[in-house]
Amino acid sequence: MKASNLAAVPPRPLHVCETKSGEFITLRDVYKSYGENLVVMDHLDLDMRADDRLVIIGPSGSGKSTLLRVMMGLESIQGGTIRFQGKPYIDGNARGKGKPMDCSLQTQVGMVFQHYTLFPHLSVLGNLILAPMKVHGLSKTQATEKAQALLARLGLESKLNVYPSQLSGGQKQRVAIARALMLEPKLMLFDEVTSALDPEMVIEVQNVMLQLAEQKMAMIIVTHDMHFARHIATRVVFCANGKVVEQGHPDQLFTQPREPRTREFLEKVLHLD
Amino acid sequence: MNYQFDFNFLNGNFGLLWDGLKVTLQLALVSNIVGLVLGFGLCLLTLSRWFFLRWPAQLFIEFFRCTPVLLQIVWFFYCVPMLFDVFIDPITMGVLALGLNLTAFNAEAYRAGVQAVPREHLDACVALGLRPWQRTLYVILPQALRSAVPVLMTNGISILQQSALVAIVAVADLMYVGKSIATEAYRPLETYSLIALIYFALSLPIAQFVQWLERRQDAALAR
Repeated sequence: MKASNLAAVPPRPLHVCETKSGEFITLRDVYKSYGENLVVMDHLDLDMRADDRLVIIGPSGSGKSTLLRVMMGLESIQGGTIRFQGKPYIDGNARGKGKPMDCSLQTQVGMVFQHYTLFPHLSVLGNLILAPMKVHGLSKTQATEKAQALLARLGLESKLNVYPSQLSGGQKQRVAIARALMLEPKLMLFDEVTSALDPEMVIEVQNVMLQLAEQKMAMIIVTHDMHFARHIATRVVFCANGKVVEQGHPDQLFTQPREPRTREFLEKVLHLD
Repeated sequence: MNYQFDFNFLNGNFGLLWDGLKVTLQLALVSNIVGLVLGFGLCLLTLSRWFFLRWPAQLFIEFFRCTPVLLQIVWFFYCVPMLFDVFIDPITMGVLALGLNLTAFNAEAYRAGVQAVPREHLDACVALGLRPWQRTLYVILPQALRSAVPVLMTNGISILQQSALVAIVAVADLMYVGKSIATEAYRPLETYSLIALIYFALSLPIAQFVQWLERRQDAALAR
């Protein structure tokens, strides 16, 4: 995507929630384990404000993706509570629950995955308008207009009637982001969305995310790209063994980590870069 | 080989062969309709969360997969009237046996199609807020059907071949007519070769079409 495209984009309306304390997401004492030995969320506490862009880093198996999947309602928690926009969202203590209890809150969360999850039997347009029509009850005309406008903003207007198999990896991932944005989420979750991409395609996807950042979209991003993390984050969270080890402003965390484990991790990954 | 081929005896028998062919086509077509529709329902049962739906469905499939088709036809023909005290005409009986056999095999084809849909797509459906039935209807089924079609068609052709087995219970299909002509005219070589050619000519175009379809699907995935 060209830089000029980005500049020409009008900012989309903000959906900042209005709570007094700036509380947007609150995780308290969240617990999740697979079996007895593998604890992926170990009494986790985390707060996020509506203008935050959280980047979660950490060694694999530290529960980064699990956190996103729990927020999306793809996996349940076994203890603790999560509040979203000032309302109870997930209660791990309720019997047989641990998943989102409020559908209308859940639809305000959008997620993009590592592997392109575009539906291959639908065109780009079909992928974009399916959920708005079936979930939000938009008419086909309304949904199509919205999809066209969104694709134009992402520089993909020519791909409207193309099928996913004819797109490059970067284009697929941008369409996947557009598909999530169609539902006007207030929170976007990105789960290693550039990990499966060829290097030259990483940038085009990251540009779209930066564009969203400019529009103050709340995001939680899991990535291994430390350079990008530093660039986009308002706060970086370092997780290990299901716990938040350290969090802070990217400049602070990447240059002067307080915790030895953070330093150790950063030395490893930055050295490899 | 000093055999003198002679097809003249067929002159008076074309009408018979044509009738036989109609019965064969009827058997194959109706069995396929039965198999495509019921097979889909059966597939849904085998994927059910509830044991009491899943278990009988699986048993049904295993029964038809693990016994010879010939035996199934004979069993239906002789045992169903005895067990249920009904008389059903031979063609319907043949359709029943072949159709239920195909139902079992098609259910497996559908199931494989459903299970070939990547798990991530289900996650994406949840993320998009689609309800479970919407997921099934708009995302899983279209993809599953697409990958199941070649197998369903191959099963369909094979039921056309296997329909010849109903000749054994005196259903006047192509095979049965051929057998009686061959015996009456003492011309087995000509008759059976001709019958074989007819089955071949019926199946080959469909088999070719399946191949073309598979190549197209592979090409679409490779892009």
